Amino acid sequence: MKHWFTALLLLCCLSLRAQSEWTPANTGHLVNDYSGILSTEQVSTLEQRLEAFSDSTSNQVLIVITPTLYGDDEDAVAQRIGQAWGVGQADFDNGVVILVKSKTADENWGAVAIATGYGVEGALPDLFCKRIIDDHMIGPLGDGDYYRAFCSALDIMLPVLSGEYSYAQYRKDRRRSALLSLGVLVLFFGVIVVALVRYAKKHPDQWRNNGRGGGGMFFGGPIGGGSSWGGSSWGGGSSWGGFGGGSFGGGGASGRF
Amino acid sequence: MKKTTIIIAVVAVLAVIILWGISVNNRLVTKDEGVQQAWAQVENVYKRRLDLVPQLVATVQGAADYERSVLTEVTNARAGVEQTRVNPEELSEEQIRGYQQAQDRLSKAMANTIKVTVERYPELTATQGFRDLQTQLEGTENRIAVERGKFNEAVQSYNTSLRRFPASIIAGICGFEKKGYFTAPEEAAEPVKVEFDF
Repeated sequence: MKHWFTALLLLCCLSLRAQSEWTPANTGHLVNDYSGILSTEQVSTLEQRLEAFSDSTSNQVLIVITPTLYGDDEDAVAQRIGQAWGVGQADFDNGVVILVKSKTADENWGAVAIATGYGVEGALPDLFCKRIIDDHMIGPLGDGDYYRAFCSALDIMLPVLSGEYSYAQYRKDRRRSALLSLGVLVLFFGVIVVALVRYAKKHPDQWRNNGRGGGGMFFGGPIGGGSSWGGSSWGGGSSWGGFGGGSFGGGGASGRF
Repeated sequence: MKKTTIIIAVVAVLAVIILWGISVNNRLVTKDEGVQQAWAQVENVYKRRLDLVPQLVATVQGAADYERSVLTEVTNARAGVEQTRVNPEELSEEQIRGYQQAQDRLSKAMANTIKVTVERYPELTATQGFRDLQTQLEGTENRIAVERGKFNEAVQSYNTSLRRFPASIIAGICGFEKKGYFTAPEEAAEPVKVEFDF
């Protein structure tokens, strides 16, 4: 439900959001955890991965976790951070900002926004960002496993950004895995039905009396393979060249958890 | 001897003034270009939204008894936007105001369509098509907000250097005109209450 209202809010008062503008100061780091949720080890693992990615492809992905948005909108904050810090290269505008507003005691809701630079709007269309958020981040974030949320988002996003994988391919794979899950589901139900029929044949009286004990089945859908990114060290930690001055035009998507 | 010194001094001062005038003029031209570029982006993102309108209409029309008046409003607002012409070389205050009024009318009509859909046709909002459209609309609104902000910044920088004395004299001579800003629509001046259900 909240999506419709978010959109309504945006449509109604898009100029309102410009009033409370909070942008954290540039730290020069690719992983910034203002909420103190990730362990030092997790931060350095993510950071090394992103620095290496920046060095090899020039695409820059910035991760920010904040306990509050100061009343602003997550999309707007993510976009402003990207613009102000200059994530991505100036010539390519190939930066991405993943912003997570963590749940806190005062504000018991979380939000996640992916902002894409002008240059990666094609590789990461808004709908794709939305899928990454809904299917790969909201789940682990809701469980409080922020690290896994980032890992699974990066597992999808980085190959796309480096051109090894595309949104079309992702959709195809998803469809295939959905079909596969459907097959498994059908098989599962088939086994249950067969078992029930057999049981009913064996005990005809009991079956008539009890009727059906409707099983509340919930099917959660496939969640992309676990974050299998080990902490292989990339040596030369300080080879990271800093933000390149990329520009952001409001592309991306967001969601709440 | 003294006369020539005076002449040389006058010529030198004139040369300095002319050089300064040229540099002011060039600076204004650069900023003017910046404004026009920002304007092109604004038009781009608004165009993007305009292109989504038929998709929105097609999606909600799926409900057989969908309220006609709501759709008519959107279609009319869209036509209104298409009729608004803005000269990118000029971008005067009334041009921007007219453009914004037409766009805001479309904003309102689109927001209304979504509101009506959510309230009365919940089965539509559950479809993937509607959700995808929703994501695209959100992204478009974000882009509009960003490009409007960037345009206003460019205009502010231009207007400031235009009106500051003594550059304003050169601006007057060379025929530079003040440009218009985007402003917050009146309805948005008071905070809109939105309840989220988590």
